[in-house]
Amino acid sequence: MFIGKREKRKVLYWLERRLHASPLIELALHKRVPVHKHSVWYYFGGISLLFLMVQIVTGILLMVYYVPELASAHASILKINSGVEFGWFIRSLHSWGANLMIAVVFIHFFSAYFMKAYRKPRELTWLTGVVLLVLCLGFGFTGYLLPWDEVSFFATKIGLDISSKVPVIGDIIATMLRGGTSIGQSTLSRFFTIHVSVLPILLMGLLSVHLAIVQAHGMSEPSDFTKQEDEEKKYEPFFPDFFFKDILVWILAGNLLFALTMLAPWGIGPEADPFAPAPIGIKPEWYFLAMFQFLKLVPPMIGPIEGELFGILVMTIFAGILAAVPFWDTGESKLKSDLATALGVITVLFMVIFSVWGAMS
Amino acid sequence: MNYPIWIVPGIGGPWVIGIIAIIHIFLSHFAVGGGAFLALIEWIAYKRNDERIYTYVKSHSRFFILVTTVAGAATGVAIWFSISLVSPDGTGSLIQSFTLAWALEYLFFVAELATAFAYYYSWDKISKEKHLLLAKWYFFMSVMTLAVINGILTFMLTPGKWLDSHYWLHGVLNETYLPSLFIRLFIMFAIAGMYGLVTATRIKDEDLRVYLVKFCSKWLLPVFFLGPIVTLWYLSQVPQVTLETVFTGIQSSGVGNFSVLARALYLSLVLSGTVLLFAFFGPYLNPKGFTFKIALLFMACGLATTGTTEWMREMLRKPYVVYGYMYSNGIRKSQVEKLRQDGFLTDAKWANVNTDPTSSKQCGEKLFQYQCMACHTVDGYRSIKKLIGDRDQESIVSFLKMMDPKNDENPYKGIMPPFAGNEAETKMLAEYLASLKPKDTTQ
Repeated sequence: MFIGKREKRKVLYWLERRLHASPLIELALHKRVPVHKHSVWYYFGGISLLFLMVQIVTGILLMVYYVPELASAHASILKINSGVEFGWFIRSLHSWGANLMIAVVFIHFFSAYFMKAYRKPRELTWLTGVVLLVLCLGFGFTGYLLPWDEVSFFATKIGLDISSKVPVIGDIIATMLRGGTSIGQSTLSRFFTIHVSVLPILLMGLLSVHLAIVQAHGMSEPSDFTKQEDEEKKYEPFFPDFFFKDILVWILAGNLLFALTMLAPWGIGPEADPFAPAPIGIKPEWYFLAMFQFLKLVPPMIGPIEGELFGILVMTIFAGILAAVPFWDTGESKLKSDLATALGVITVLFMVIFSVWGAMS
Repeated sequence: MNYPIWIVPGIGGPWVIGIIAIIHIFLSHFAVGGGAFLALIEWIAYKRNDERIYTYVKSHSRFFILVTTVAGAATGVAIWFSISLVSPDGTGSLIQSFTLAWALEYLFFVAELATAFAYYYSWDKISKEKHLLLAKWYFFMSVMTLAVINGILTFMLTPGKWLDSHYWLHGVLNETYLPSLFIRLFIMFAIAGMYGLVTATRIKDEDLRVYLVKFCSKWLLPVFFLGPIVTLWYLSQVPQVTLETVFTGIQSSGVGNFSVLARALYLSLVLSGTVLLFAFFGPYLNPKGFTFKIALLFMACGLATTGTTEWMREMLRKPYVVYGYMYSNGIRKSQVEKLRQDGFLTDAKWANVNTDPTSSKQCGEKLFQYQCMACHTVDGYRSIKKLIGDRDQESIVSFLKMMDPKNDENPYKGIMPPFAGNEAETKMLAEYLASLKPKDTTQ
């Protein structure tokens, strides 16, 4: 059962001749993690990855029973919930996992932002991260419609109506996503295809690039750490020290997901009726709530511009400034650095306050 | 039914007990397992003649005394307050049936406290042998408190021969007494290891810290190697019908194929398993990197596991507070038939206070408070408003009648007690419950 040292060496040699993996192993063995008071934020990338793996596995299992067809979509979810052994469990893991993944990706995004991890030479790491966040929101938006229940139908309708207000491309994109002027079979088919094939391909490709660049540059170090003398700086090896701690964090994150799944399994509302009036107080998922609430507050007309269009333009410009932060906050100007931090704080406050407001109103 | 009712909106009275009890268990289990931990680590310090370990065990004993005798004792008293307010009939029944056992428990508890203080205040003042002997005596006394309280706790699920004899020893030494005693002891050792990690990770000397962190992680070994065996033994002794209820469940108790009982069981198993993984990948494999903050997170994991497992154990008793004897709403099984004929409100001593007997809705509200509120709240935890949904008075009456104890087709039999009231009271309760339904504002 046990192989000796000689056999082990032979197996490793055989593998090395075929894989040429020793440079990668060397890189992994020499990878080190800076130890400082903000080290805790390093774990959130790993947690996002864990939740992504959960999404992939549970998503594949759900596809076995889900039927992306108007007459069957809702019934197939009902069947998963009550007719398939542990179907409710897999679906709840997927739904809770999606929400937790988006929450953790947001935390990862803002922790990188406030630690100024976007600065040279990590501009591409930042930009790929921004696109990955958008893709995650895309997963949430497209996946939300698939159960074809009342709330998901009308929330999607509102979401597409809003996005159609974007000048020039908005209406084209909304029509393409809907597959026409109203939400129906074409929309469901398109959302399903985007959710299970287009977005996963984009995400896996971009994630590989993101991770490769992270490995190439190593862990980012916050400025108060880099200012320290070399003798004062503390590092720990990624393997095995940080990796073992990563496992502990994954266990905790997994426990949280499992507890939510067991204590509050995901239900399903009544089947969507496209001809029925929208229920009162319909709201999008929590991660779109801040934007939704902001647009609700904008007056119908601001000067010659339609209110919703104005709101979308303001948010787009603001998001663009945030996404482009590595190019205007390069670390050479303290003023710009402080401005970037202030913009980040305003964004976080806006998201928290408007989300809570939206949820309570 | 013999006492005034305590209304806790939102979470409901049982969760007040639950929250206090879960915290108390996590502290009191440390009080027992921690005794063995102190004795063993002090013995190691003497055997290895290691002054550093001796200094550690001294500082750990201070932490131990503060946690167990202040927080542990305060939550213990809080349990008594909360159970006597939420479940006065059940509490009264336990006091009356086990007066001698409670007296014994009190004696052992006083002895436990006395040896704990003697142990703490005699560091460097008596010989090493005598001090170590005090640690052993403390552990013995704390195990004796466990031995008594374990009998009363297990009695509530498996009263055994007591149901016929009403002899207190038959109640204490019941079918699940021994497996429960062993599994609790193993859990106590594990919890002692977790608390040990909190103090061990504060040590500055790296060699000693690594040694003690690894040492603490080994205290989780008994529960994970012997725990599953003893759990199977325990489960073989509980009323098998309760296990059937867990695995078959009822559709309306939760979404999907499993009731909340099954979900709680899975959660308890998974959390227990992950505590083992945490101990293995954390303090055992990487003692150097196991910090104080991680030790606190590990404690949070342990608390969550303890809470879920105790919640699961409590739910096994459904719908009783003492299995086969008294329902969770404090009504004795033997009283139900009489109450169904003569009525509940005529017998309930406090139910008519501040209630207009001519108002059927007010009487219905009292019936709800006395018979349903042990598990449900109006619009919080297990909201009755939500569960009633769109049902009208007539369908609620049919529902209550379906819960006849003689009805074998009643799908809620293993989950809910029967309604103990006469025909008129059934209608009163139904009227009150139907009135909770949100009014249709479109008409």
